Amino acid sequence: MKWFPNLGFQGRRREFEEEIDAHLQMAIADRVARGETPEAARQAAEREFGNIPLVEDVTRDMWGRGWLEQLGRDVRYALRQLRRSPGFTITATAMLTVAICANSTVFSWMDGTMLRPIPGARDTSALVSLQRGERTTPPFSYLDYRDLREQNRSFDGILAYHHDWITLTGGAQPERVYIANVSANFFDVLGIKPMLGRFFLPDEESRPAIPSVVLGYSLWKTRYAADPAIVGKSIDIARHPVTVIGVAPEGVTGAMPGLREDLWVTLDPLGTEGWRMTHRSGGNAVWLNVIGRLRPGVSRGQAAQDLDTVMRHIVAAYPDQHLGDNRITLDPMWRSPFGANGLMAATLPLLLAFAAVVLLLTCANVATLTLVRFVSRRRELAIRQSLGANRLQLVRQMVMEGVLLSLVAGAAALVLTSWTSKTFAWFFPANENPLILNGAMDHKVVIGIAVSSLLVGMLCGALPAWRSSHAPAAEVLKAESASISGGSRNRKLLSGLVVAQIALSLPLLLCSGLFLRTLRNLAGANPGFEQDHILTASVGTNIAGYSREEERLIRHKILDRVSALPGVRVATFTDWIPMTLSHKGEDAYPEGYVPHPHEALQVYHADVGPRYLESLHIPILEGREFTLHDDEKAPRVLIVDQTAARHYWPGQDPMGKRLRVWGSLFTVVGVARNSTHIFVNESPEPLVYTSFFQTGYETIVQVETEGNPADMEPAVENVIHAIDPRLPVFDVRPLRESTQMASSFAVIESALAGMFALIGLVLAVTGIYGVVAYRTQMRTHEIGIRMALGASRVDVLRLVLVQGLWLTGIGLALGLAFALGLTRLIARLFYGIGAHDPATVASVAMLLGTMSLLACYLPAHRAMRRNPVTAIREL
Amino acid sequence: MSEKDQYKNRIELLQGTLDMLILQTLQWGPQHGYGIVQALRLRSGDVLQVETGSLYPALHRLERQGWVQSEWKQSESRQRARYYRITAKGKKQLASDLGRWERIVEAIGSVMYVKPEESES
Repeated sequence: MKWFPNLGFQGRRREFEEEIDAHLQMAIADRVARGETPEAARQAAEREFGNIPLVEDVTRDMWGRGWLEQLGRDVRYALRQLRRSPGFTITATAMLTVAICANSTVFSWMDGTMLRPIPGARDTSALVSLQRGERTTPPFSYLDYRDLREQNRSFDGILAYHHDWITLTGGAQPERVYIANVSANFFDVLGIKPMLGRFFLPDEESRPAIPSVVLGYSLWKTRYAADPAIVGKSIDIARHPVTVIGVAPEGVTGAMPGLREDLWVTLDPLGTEGWRMTHRSGGNAVWLNVIGRLRPGVSRGQAAQDLDTVMRHIVAAYPDQHLGDNRITLDPMWRSPFGANGLMAATLPLLLAFAAVVLLLTCANVATLTLVRFVSRRRELAIRQSLGANRLQLVRQMVMEGVLLSLVAGAAALVLTSWTSKTFAWFFPANENPLILNGAMDHKVVIGIAVSSLLVGMLCGALPAWRSSHAPAAEVLKAESASISGGSRNRKLLSGLVVAQIALSLPLLLCSGLFLRTLRNLAGANPGFEQDHILTASVGTNIAGYSREEERLIRHKILDRVSALPGVRVATFTDWIPMTLSHKGEDAYPEGYVPHPHEALQVYHADVGPRYLESLHIPILEGREFTLHDDEKAPRVLIVDQTAARHYWPGQDPMGKRLRVWGSLFTVVGVARNSTHIFVNESPEPLVYTSFFQTGYETIVQVETEGNPADMEPAVENVIHAIDPRLPVFDVRPLRESTQMASSFAVIESALAGMFALIGLVLAVTGIYGVVAYRTQMRTHEIGIRMALGASRVDVLRLVLVQGLWLTGIGLALGLAFALGLTRLIARLFYGIGAHDPATVASVAMLLGTMSLLACYLPAHRAMRRNPVTAIREL
Repeated sequence: MSEKDQYKNRIELLQGTLDMLILQTLQWGPQHGYGIVQALRLRSGDVLQVETGSLYPALHRLERQGWVQSEWKQSESRQRARYYRITAKGKKQLASDLGRWERIVEAIGSVMYVKPEESES
């Protein structure tokens, strides 16, 4: 452009006035030159020029409307159209809002968990979780970790941590907090900078002169009143003085996905467990979770190979300490086996897929409604087309209606999601773990909503618009009655959309049916142990700084006093609660057995006190339970469950056999019946019980009560506090409550699948009703003629019903094929029911079929009752 | 060809004629709006009297289409005016407009000047 390209509308206007003025001046000058008086010349020139404002106006039209102005016009037109049919507008917006919100909610849950595995960390996509063999408990010893860290060539850094709980003993009330022992490079590898003070130095990793601690932001806020001068002060952890060196920024919760840590110390600052730093196996030597940050350009596969090589050297150097499978595998953090993400990754993507089906279904529904509207507006469209609107313009304006709907729906979904994203935490019952699972509402969710709104707008706006704009204008205008049912092309599209809705809703219904049955089966399943009259309470003897001797005395006192409480049938100890998503695992192998390379020797393990099995009603099949005499002075003893017995001594009597665990030999004194460890639908893993008074570490008091266990909570807590008021007592709750954790994912799955299926059913039924009702209405005239010519009411009923039956039948057949394929893929999530369970398949197909038929019957019934005379008159 | 298309062609024909005349005028050199009116009137022997209400919309549209460019200059009489100049794209358009115009004139001519004996045969 030669002239002022940035001039706005006003600028161009002024410029054009100047141009006109120049025109007039030149005309006047010519006339004056020809001898006219200036006054006469001016009047003549103006007369010749004509109506100046009019010229300005028509010229301005030529400047072309900017795309913005064009958009404005389209939006105004679309708004006018939408205002004219408020029923459609409100229904469609509401449906789209629900569908988009379903997607964004599930996505926000993924975003808050899988996509944000370590809050506050830099570039978590470069982080990988290290796993050795098939272990899921902490897989590495400190020495192995140190060798991997120092000898690899693929990582910018490798950190190690151990998630635990501990007691803050300074101050009036001991408080149980979640702590992690971390390698000195922990925060560096994560890429987190301190908010106050500093983080750990390399020489502080093991046995520093003065142990130091980094506080989490919320602990600093709540327990230390956000003291800005906290750095350098001393606090008591488990009765050890430690120095605060720094405070982590807000939101940082450690490296275990889904779990919160309140403070961090280096790997061995409190000197509680000698084995932790000096051994490669046995005792508590294998205790570290390890996360690495890949060097840029190094793939996960290359890094795994590199570490595998290092690990092979370690195994070759210390073969006795590395029995079993030692291959290294690397997982991205979103499905890290440590923390909650492994479970999330198994559930949430599936739910997102369901939500996507709901969205598709809704699009089909809204597209149906839109198409019906466009068909009934075809006269208007034809007139505008013959007045010179080109097809693209018409389509653009019709698409704008869909886009407006989806934008409003997207905005509404955004508001709704900011609330629903936070409902995720509701699914998890109170438990011993510091779960911080919840949805997150950030730019990713907003982008997700925007993208789905756009897609929805295209699907329910563009598709029907393009189809409708095909109608040849002249035909529509002259032959109103010939295209009475909207032309065969539209009829086919409408039918297709209805079939799609039925076919899409059937899989939703089937899945939700199967999930609900699964949930019922899980609730009704016998886990192999008594859940109902059991109370458990954790006592923090090991984390509050008591000596071994003090701890022993306290435990005996607790056992005596709790047993003596009225209403208590049996009191005992354990260090593990089944069905709480946690388990302890050890390497164990029979005496004299030489394991094959890579053979997995892991067994589940629980330290349990006398009468533990009796209180849980787990039968002893052979031998005996532990007694008070199975203590540190007595020979080490072991009880195996049936799976472990079969695993180690197939076809033999396990009694009296010996098993090597942590380097010591344990003699089998009993065989217990199998019971559920983590999930009701798990495949049985071998489990060994060891005697609590020989090997117990954590102290959980387990009480079998005569009445409701919840009523005993205060009594048990008080009696323990009476022994020593500084004893931290926490996680006091009935066993039934704790074991709900095992079914929480089944609850999530069935709740969401159920909700989605309900939406799907409503959409499918309203969709078929809408189409059949619309078509019947269009055929009112024809039906009137048929009746006048002698068709009976039943004939009319059949006429309309057959149409609906066809659509339903095809939809059901397609949906069934789709559904059966889908459920086979997710069969592992069902329990006690096949993926093709005939009863469930039949009942959901019946339900959908019946509802659809009902939806067809209503318009048919109405048509049947019409008076033929008024029907013929009506057009 | 449907009725609607014919209608559209008629509009184009009229627009096209004015566009062609303006572009042809600018072939002889850059000119301002007033100059174009005068030139057309002179060349057509006072037959073509272009209305300003048609001229300015046409000029501005031609500029938007990239067929002419404009710039502010002083005229010989020291009057500042906006001069329009034909572009390469405009010249191509003029050639095609002219070609079409000649075909139409020829076609209309052969309809209007049919010799009686030919029409009888």
